[in-house]
Amino acid sequence: MIESLLNAFIAAAKIIGLNYSFLLSAYERGPWLEGIGITIGLALLSIVSSLLVGIVVASLLTSGKPWLANPTRAFVELTRNTPTLVQLYCAFFVLNMLINQAVGGAQNNPLSAFAWVVIVLSLHYGAIHAEALRAGIEAVPKVTRESALSLGFSRSESLRYVELPLAMRFALPSLVNNLVNLVKSTALGSAIAVGEVTYASLMIWTQRDNVLELMIFIFLVYGILTLLVARAGSWLETHLRMPGYGH
Amino acid sequence: MPHTETHHERPTLVQLRDVHLSFGSNKVLKGVDLNVRQGDAVSIIGPSGSGKSTILRCINGLLAPERGEIVVGNTPVHALKTEADRIALRKRIGFVFQQYNLFPHLSVLENIVIAPTRILGTDRQTAEREARELLARVRLSDKADAYPGQLSGGQQQRVAIARALAMHPELVLFDEVTSALDPETVGEVLAVIRELVQDGLTCILVTHEMRFAEEVSHEIVFTEGGEIVEHGTPQTIFHAPRNPRTHGFINALRN
Amino acid sequence: MATENNTLILKAPWVFPTVSPVALWLVALVAAWAVLGQLYADSIRLLLLWVPHLAKGLQMNILTSVLAIGIGTVLGLLVGALELSQARWINTPARWYVQVFRNAPLLVLIFFTTYVFPFEIKIGSIYLPFPDWIKATIGLALPASAHIAEILRGAVQSIPTPQWEASASLAFSRSQTLRWIILPQCVKRVLPPWMNLYAMITMSTTLASLVGVTELLESAKNASNTVNRTDFTILVYLAILTLFFAYCYPITRLTRRLEKKFSFH
Ligand SMILES: Nc1ncnc2c1ncn2[C@@H]1O[C@H](COP(=O)(O)OP(=O)(O)O)[C@@H](O)[C@H]1O
Ligand SMILES: [Mg+2]
Repeated sequence: MIESLLNAFIAAAKIIGLNYSFLLSAYERGPWLEGIGITIGLALLSIVSSLLVGIVVASLLTSGKPWLANPTRAFVELTRNTPTLVQLYCAFFVLNMLINQAVGGAQNNPLSAFAWVVIVLSLHYGAIHAEALRAGIEAVPKVTRESALSLGFSRSESLRYVELPLAMRFALPSLVNNLVNLVKSTALGSAIAVGEVTYASLMIWTQRDNVLELMIFIFLVYGILTLLVARAGSWLETHLRMPGYGH
Repeated sequence: MPHTETHHERPTLVQLRDVHLSFGSNKVLKGVDLNVRQGDAVSIIGPSGSGKSTILRCINGLLAPERGEIVVGNTPVHALKTEADRIALRKRIGFVFQQYNLFPHLSVLENIVIAPTRILGTDRQTAEREARELLARVRLSDKADAYPGQLSGGQQQRVAIARALAMHPELVLFDEVTSALDPETVGEVLAVIRELVQDGLTCILVTHEMRFAEEVSHEIVFTEGGEIVEHGTPQTIFHAPRNPRTHGFINALRN
Repeated sequence: MATENNTLILKAPWVFPTVSPVALWLVALVAAWAVLGQLYADSIRLLLLWVPHLAKGLQMNILTSVLAIGIGTVLGLLVGALELSQARWINTPARWYVQVFRNAPLLVLIFFTTYVFPFEIKIGSIYLPFPDWIKATIGLALPASAHIAEILRGAVQSIPTPQWEASASLAFSRSQTLRWIILPQCVKRVLPPWMNLYAMITMSTTLASLVGVTELLESAKNASNTVNRTDFTILVYLAILTLFFAYCYPITRLTRRLEKKFSFH
């Protein structure tokens, strides 16, 4: 059944000049489908951990303690003003190498290339999320805190019940935008041979001459993934909407 | 006149003595003295920038004076050192702001309920029942589920009053609560405050509504340049002020 | 004392000292390298030998970034203008263009232009070579143009409606209003995000290394593989990080300064 559908699709594509016959070879199809799974895995893990990193970094930035805030700020600036690919290389070719040497060989190193991509993307996008969160916190008017304090809230209660919920709403559009970019950045994994969909496709089109065919698929995969993230974001936005405020 | 026979016998609730405060080199309060008895409504009037809001912020511990004493009930506010002590104080004092400052992400009911449940530990049912009673009192029963952004300024301000009252405060500070409102909604807010005063709530009101101040206040305080220039009964301040500066201010407003 | 006290109470916990200025960073970086120089004096000398090779790589990054922003800007203004058109058959394709190029990963776009475009172009009977670095530049310029179109559209829409109404009441047509009233007001709003985009493109030029363009990162990788020494590898990647930071951070700072300055007008 699936086989015949596949054949029909390949035949149809052939009519408009596209060659999808790689789908018939299990040897090629397998890693390629797996590549989609790896892309999704990279995206999901990095989304969650980048958000966690973002919250931690934002709270350090806004802690009011210079010895916490300043080094964190330095980290954020460094991360935002250097290429993600260079960061990935620094992690994979430098840190990973050092770890390998320290534990006595790559076979003892628990960190895979996949893990390094997640780590680097989480730190990079965590820093960018933190900036969005900080801007959100700063967009909360000072009088809002005053009125919470006047009701007897402590500072941390005011932050937790009033300011952060508001800041989240202000930051949400930027956060969603960042997450869309993060999903796209998972393609960087191919630079260190993580078998995500871009890399898997690369492996196929170097054997066959079907770049355009695979490109269409790749665009579709990322298009769907980014669309899903954007949809989730707008669902949250309507869900958290403050009537009368246009947010 | 809301004066009663017992006015002079009531105990003092708020007392400021020789309060000084500056922001950098800007001396904002230069020795303020103030007495408010339990059940009194005291109105502070005076030109903009004369330190009226600063006085209110000192009373609930949002600002700390550099010199002088502030006592609310038995609490020496000027001597409070920890945040926890200030929080304990603020639970007893309501504050209503010029800009309402409702929490825009919460419904009207949630705005009123959040402090009693989170801060006082009141159970949800009781808090909600009281909130609905308060909403009835400010004539907004039908707006419980609306959001602040969907209300007019006057309605938002009445919610803000209900929110302050939900903490059962001994004292409520009103900082120019009608200044941001459209003229036609000012009346509905003043009506609510008038009822509260008549019910015996202790209030300090900063206001530019002179007729209202004259009508509801037990005492009027005139501030200028960080000092209390004159205080007295509404009758004295509005009709026979002793100080020429008071006279000038009142006359300027009349014309 | 009281002032301190007051600021203490009023101070929001998120108020922290303003961002360290560029000069402070410069000092920190120079100091860090001075320390590295002490620790790895030997490999620093090696690194210096590789400087000409790395500099050539850096040239490529700067060349591609400038070309990409140039092409991207021209193309982006065009697409943006089409997007602002009120005729649906014009603005719909423009919107699609923007959506597609904004939502595709940059690396994939660079693969696309590199592997799908021919390696030479035939004009008449002459065959012009179409080198990979130009294809990669186009791969960077396409998404850049989509971003610029979006920046333009956002800026135009941020001008309040009364400006349009006032112009209309002076009998301006839509395109006259756009040209004489709205766009001049947009320049200020467009400049900071445009500079931001340039910094992003500059950082993205490293992606060209993955299609075999010898730019800075590729040169560094070559150097690291050739020398094949741990301390040299560390140094060379740190050097790349430092170089990009030194190039992009001042742009980011300037962008923020302009943003702040313009937000008051
Ligand atoms: N947080 C602050 N920081 C610095 N100066 C302030 C602050 N709040 C008030 N001021 C200054 O204190 C003076 C009195 O302000 P305020 O008490 O708000 O006056 P009023 O309420 O009578 O209009 C003004 O000159 C004002 O600029
Ligand atoms: Mg004031």
